[in-house]
Amino acid sequence: MIPDDLDTIVGRLAERFSAQRGALLPLLHAIQEEVGWVPDAATPLGARALNLSRAEVHGVVTFYHDFRREPAGRHVVKLCLAEACKARGVGAIEAALADRLGVGIDKTRADGQVSFEAVYCLGLCATGPNALVDDRPVSRLDARKVDRIVAQVSA
Amino acid sequence: MMSTDQRLAYMADQIARNFAAIGHDKAAMATADHIAKFWDPRMKARIAGLTDSLGPVAARAIAILQEKGAPPPQTHATEYADVAGAGHDDAG
Amino acid sequence: MGWIGEIDLGTKPMPVTGPLVSLTIDGQPVDVPAGTSIMRAAALMGTNIPKLCATDTLESFGSCRICLVEIDGRAGYPASCTTPVTPGMVVRTQTDKLAKLRKGVMELYISDHPLDCLTCSANGDCELQDQAGAVGLRDVRYGYDGANHLDAAKDESNPYFTFDPAKCIVCSRCVRACDEVQGTLALTVDGRGFSSHIAASQDEDFLSSECVSCGACVQACPTSALIEKEVIKVGTPDKAVITTCAYCGVGCTFRAEMRGEQLVRMVPWKDGKANRGHSCVKGRFAWGYANHKERILNPMIRASVHEPWREVSWEEAIAHTASEFRRIQSTYGTRAVGGITSSRCTNEETFLVQKLIRQGFGNNNVDTCARVCHSPTGYGLKTTFGTSAGTQDFDSVQHSDVILVIGANPTDGHPVFASRMKRRLRQGAKLIVIDPRRTDLVRSPHIEAAHHLSLRPGTNVAVLTAMAHVIVTEGLFDEAYIRERCDWDEYEDWAAFVSEDHRSPEASAEITGVDPDELRKAARLYATGGNGAIYYGLGVTEHSQGSSTVMAIANLAMATGNVGREGVGVNPLRGQNNVQGACDMGSFPHEFSGYRHVSDPEARAMFEDAWGVPLDDEPGLRIPNMLDAATDGAFKALFIQGEDILQSDPNTAHVAAGLAAMECVVVQDLFLNETANYAHVFLPGSTFLEKDGTFTNAERRIQRVRKVMSPLNGFADWEIVQMVAQAMGLGWNYTHPSEIMDEIAALTPSFANVHYDALEEHGSLQWPATAAAPLGTPTMHLDGFVRGKGRFVVTDYVATDEKTGPRFPLLLTTGRILSHYNVGAQTRRTDNVAWHPEDLLEIHPHDAENRGLHDGQWVSLRSRAGETTLRALVTERVAPGVVYTTFHHPTTQANVITTDFSDWATNCPEYKVTAVQVSPSNGPSDWQESYEAQAKRSRRIEPRLEPAE
Repeated sequence: MIPDDLDTIVGRLAERFSAQRGALLPLLHAIQEEVGWVPDAATPLGARALNLSRAEVHGVVTFYHDFRREPAGRHVVKLCLAEACKARGVGAIEAALADRLGVGIDKTRADGQVSFEAVYCLGLCATGPNALVDDRPVSRLDARKVDRIVAQVSA
Repeated sequence: MMSTDQRLAYMADQIARNFAAIGHDKAAMATADHIAKFWDPRMKARIAGLTDSLGPVAARAIAILQEKGAPPPQTHATEYADVAGAGHDDAG
Repeated sequence: MGWIGEIDLGTKPMPVTGPLVSLTIDGQPVDVPAGTSIMRAAALMGTNIPKLCATDTLESFGSCRICLVEIDGRAGYPASCTTPVTPGMVVRTQTDKLAKLRKGVMELYISDHPLDCLTCSANGDCELQDQAGAVGLRDVRYGYDGANHLDAAKDESNPYFTFDPAKCIVCSRCVRACDEVQGTLALTVDGRGFSSHIAASQDEDFLSSECVSCGACVQACPTSALIEKEVIKVGTPDKAVITTCAYCGVGCTFRAEMRGEQLVRMVPWKDGKANRGHSCVKGRFAWGYANHKERILNPMIRASVHEPWREVSWEEAIAHTASEFRRIQSTYGTRAVGGITSSRCTNEETFLVQKLIRQGFGNNNVDTCARVCHSPTGYGLKTTFGTSAGTQDFDSVQHSDVILVIGANPTDGHPVFASRMKRRLRQGAKLIVIDPRRTDLVRSPHIEAAHHLSLRPGTNVAVLTAMAHVIVTEGLFDEAYIRERCDWDEYEDWAAFVSEDHRSPEASAEITGVDPDELRKAARLYATGGNGAIYYGLGVTEHSQGSSTVMAIANLAMATGNVGREGVGVNPLRGQNNVQGACDMGSFPHEFSGYRHVSDPEARAMFEDAWGVPLDDEPGLRIPNMLDAATDGAFKALFIQGEDILQSDPNTAHVAAGLAAMECVVVQDLFLNETANYAHVFLPGSTFLEKDGTFTNAERRIQRVRKVMSPLNGFADWEIVQMVAQAMGLGWNYTHPSEIMDEIAALTPSFANVHYDALEEHGSLQWPATAAAPLGTPTMHLDGFVRGKGRFVVTDYVATDEKTGPRFPLLLTTGRILSHYNVGAQTRRTDNVAWHPEDLLEIHPHDAENRGLHDGQWVSLRSRAGETTLRALVTERVAPGVVYTTFHHPTTQANVITTDFSDWATNCPEYKVTAVQVSPSNGPSDWQESYEAQAKRSRRIEPRLEPAE
C-alpha cells in the first residue's frame, strides 16, 4: 500500500513548500492528496526534508484527525456527530448507515470499499444532520438520503 | 618507525619549514629560539651532531645555537610573562 | 523531577532594561522588571501561586489552568504565568472563586492519576502531590472508574530513567525542555484531547527515539512520570552538595543529591554559570563507574610486567615508589625520570604532581595530556594575542551573530555548550561549519549551516588563508580596529602574503577540495555579519600544522575586529574537565604555573624560595620525547597520574615500546587501564566525588569540586602524591587542598585572588583574578591585547608528510561520540554502552561499494603504522575518500593506526590525518590478538596473603 517511491514523492512535494514558513501542514496535505493517506514512513522523510524532528512531524500528524495514518476505503463517508446534528437526530442516521454500510464509525470495511468516519461540525448546522460523502456535502439526512449514499458508495 | 635521531632531524626541519615563509635568516633565528625554549638538553645535544642531515634553515639554526647560544625571543610564543604578569596563558 | 530544596519562581527572569513596574499583589506593593509574569512577581514576594505546567527554566505555557488569579478591572481569571505585570495592577491570588476553580481543575487531574502516593518513587518530591495539597483537594467527585490512562505501559528502555504514562499529566514540560533547553525536539504530544499523551519521536521507546538522554525532561517533570531509576531503587535524596562535573571542558556544575554517603542522582545546578542548569548524558547519568566492580582499591606492585600484580599496603607501595625513583636517578641520572599530570584531576593535585617532579625529581620532565589536544592553542594564541586563554565566557554566544565552528563537533564533544549555541542559532544567528564530516551542526532539526566547507583533512591552513585572502582583497577588514589594536606593519606583511593569487579560494581549491564560491561567501559572512565568534576543537589542533591553524584563526579574528567584546572571540573548546587547569598549574615541561618559562631567573627564584631547592633551568621532555628517550635507554621511570597514554596517544606500538623499556612505571588510576599493562606500581586513585579541589573549565572558570563520599581507595589523589613526596623526603604537610590553592595563588600572578573563601562567596572565578580584577575576567582583551599589540603571523600552508597513495588511498580522521568520553575508561563502565557498544568505521557508500563492503561488516583498517579491525558504518556523513572512527574502546585500538607525525611547534599528534586502506576482514588483527593476550596476562592479580594475627 505504501508507494515504493514515497521517498521521491515526499522530496518532490517538500521542495514545493520548503521556502515558506510553516511548510509542514501544506506538505502533509499534499502527501495525503497524492498518496491518499500519510504513512508513518512519510514522517521521517518529511522531517528530513523540512529539517524538523520526527517527533514534531508525528505530533502534527496525530493532532489532526483529518490526516489518515491508514489507507482509506475507496469511498469515504464522514458523518457529523457534533451538537447541532445530534439535536437534529443524527443518532438514528449513524445507526442506519453503520448497518447499511456494514461498518461501524471510524472504521474501514474489510473489503476496502468504504470508510465511515465521524467529524465534529461541517459548518452546516442549520441544515443538519450533515455528512460529507467523498468530499461532497449531503444535508438534511434522512432514510432516502441514506439509501442514496449507500448506493453511491457501493459502486 | 623513525629512530630518535631521525625524528630529531625531522622535527628541526619541520620547524624550519614552518618558519620558511619569513625568509632564511629570520627563519633560522626563529628555529634556534624555538629549539632553545622547548627542547630538553639531551635533544639539543644530539641535534648538534646531526647538522649534516638537516636542511639549510635548521642547520643554520643549530649553528646559531652553538656559536652564540640562545637568541632573544623571535616570536611571542617564546617571550614569557614576567613574574608579575597576569593573564598570560599558553594552555593546551 | 523537581529540585529538592530549590525555589522555583515559575517563569524566567526578565532583564532590567528600564524603570521597575510597581503593582499590588494581595494588598502588598511589589516592584519588578517590566515583562515579569504575575506568577514570578508573587513568588519574589514569597507568595507561591499554585502551578503545574510552569517552571522557571522554561518559557511560560499557560496550559494547566491552576495558576489563575483575579485582576482588578479585567474580566475572567487569567493565568498568572502568561500574564505580564502592568503598572498599578491590583492582583488577588487567593479568593473563594479562585479556590473553587483550582480545586475543580485539580480534581480532573487527580481523577486520572494513580492514588499510590505512599509507594510512588516521587513521594515527597512531587509537584502534583504538593499542589493538590495547596489547592485543598479532599475528594474526587467523579470517582476513578471512568476512562483513564492508569494501565498505560511503562517505558523502561532508557538505562537511566523510566517513563510512566500513568503518572503523566501531559503538562508538556518535558516536551518544552527538550525543545528549549536541549534543542533536540525528540518529544511531542501524540494525539489530542483525552487520548493525548507524551511520545518520544514517533511514539517509540525513548532509547530508539531521537532522545539523547540529556535528562532535561526528567528534570522538568513535575511528577514521577519521568524519574531516575536510581531514585526508584534508592529513594528520594535528603541532601545535596554542589560540585563540578569530571567529564568535558564545559565544566557543568551539579547538585550531587545524596542519602548518607550514597549518591542518588546528579542534577544540573540552576545557578551554574557554565551550564545554566543543563546537562548531558555523561555528566548527569554516567557516574556509575565510581562504584564499578573493576575499580582497584588496593595498591599493587610487581618486579616485572610479566609477573602478576601483588597487593601491598599503602606504606609498602609508597616506599617502593620513592626508592625506585631514587635508585633510577642515582643509576641513570637526574633527568632519567619524569611524570605526567592528569587533566581529570584537580588543580591542586596537578600542581602537586608537577611540584613533585620539579622539586623532588629535580628536573622538568613533566607533561600532560594537553600535549595531545590543545598544545597548539597554547602556542598559537600566545603568539598572536599574548595569551592562549579562550577569549570569552560561554554566555558570550548569546550575543553572536555569526558563529564559525571549525574542527569541532560540539553536539557530541561539548553537548551542554552546543545546546546554548543551538539556541542562539534558532534565534537567527548564522552558522559556518568547516569540517570534513557532515556533523550534526551542519544540519539537524531547526539548525542549518549557511555554509559547510567540507575540506580535505589536513588543509585547514589553506582554507583559512583563502578566507583571509577574500577578506583582505575584497576590503572587508576592519582597518580602524587593526590600526588601534594590532601591529599595522605586521598586518601589512600578512595582508600582502594572503593576497597573493595562489592563496585565493580558486587557486587553493585543488588542495582543499572546497568550492571557491562557497568559501568566498563564508568569508564575507564572517567578516560582515555582525559579531563573529569562532569556536574550534581538536580538528584544528591535532594536525602537523595545528599551531599554524590556530594562528590563522587568530589572524581572521583580528582582521575583522572580532576580539575584545561579548559575542565575538576565539574559543578553543577544551576536551577534558581540567585540561585548562592542568596547563595553568605548570604541567608543561618548559614552564611553571602561570606560564613562566623555566629559564626565567626571576620566576625560578620565586619557586626556589618557596620550595627551598634549586630548580632546573632547562625545559624537560614532552611525552613523545620521553618515549623516544626510553627506547634509547636514557629515560627509565615515569609517574603517571590519571592518564592512559597507551590508548590515547598515537602510534600505540611506539608508546608500548617506550613503556616496555622503562624500569619503573607508576600508574595512579581508578582502573587497570591499558597503560597499567606496562606498569610496575599501581596506586589506586579516587574519583571526583571523593575529594575536594577545583577544576578550571574552557572559559577559565575555576569551580569547586566537593567531596560527597569517602574515597573507596582510602585517600584522595593529592594525599597519595603527598605521601610519595614525603617518602622522598620533601617534607610536605598539606592538610586540605585549600592550602595547596593558597600556595598556587602566592606563586601564580593570574591566580593571586583565587582562594577557597572567594570561591565559596562567588561560586566561581574566571582567571585572571588579580588585585586589578578581583572577581575575575569573563572577556579577555577588552581594552587591548594582553601583550600590547595583536600580532598577525604569516601562516604558510605546509602539507603534512602523511600522504595518500595507491597502498593507502583513504584519509582516516578520528573523533568522539556523545555517549562516550575520551578513552572510555569511565563511560564504558556505565550504561552509556547502550548507545555506543563499539567503535565503528564510518565510510562513504561510494568507497564501501568499491571495496565490496556493506553496513555492519567487519573490516580491516590499515595504515603505515599498523592494522586493526572494526565494523563498518556506511554513511554519507563522511565525504568520499575520508573514513572516520572513534577511540573509545581499547579493543579497537584506533591509535594502532595513527602515526608519529605531529604539530611542528608543539608535537601535538596528527590524529586527524592518517592515510589508510580498508578491506573486508574476518576477525581481529594479529596486533589485537596478541595485545589482548598480553593484556589478560598483565592484569592478573595474585591473591593477597593475609598476615597471621
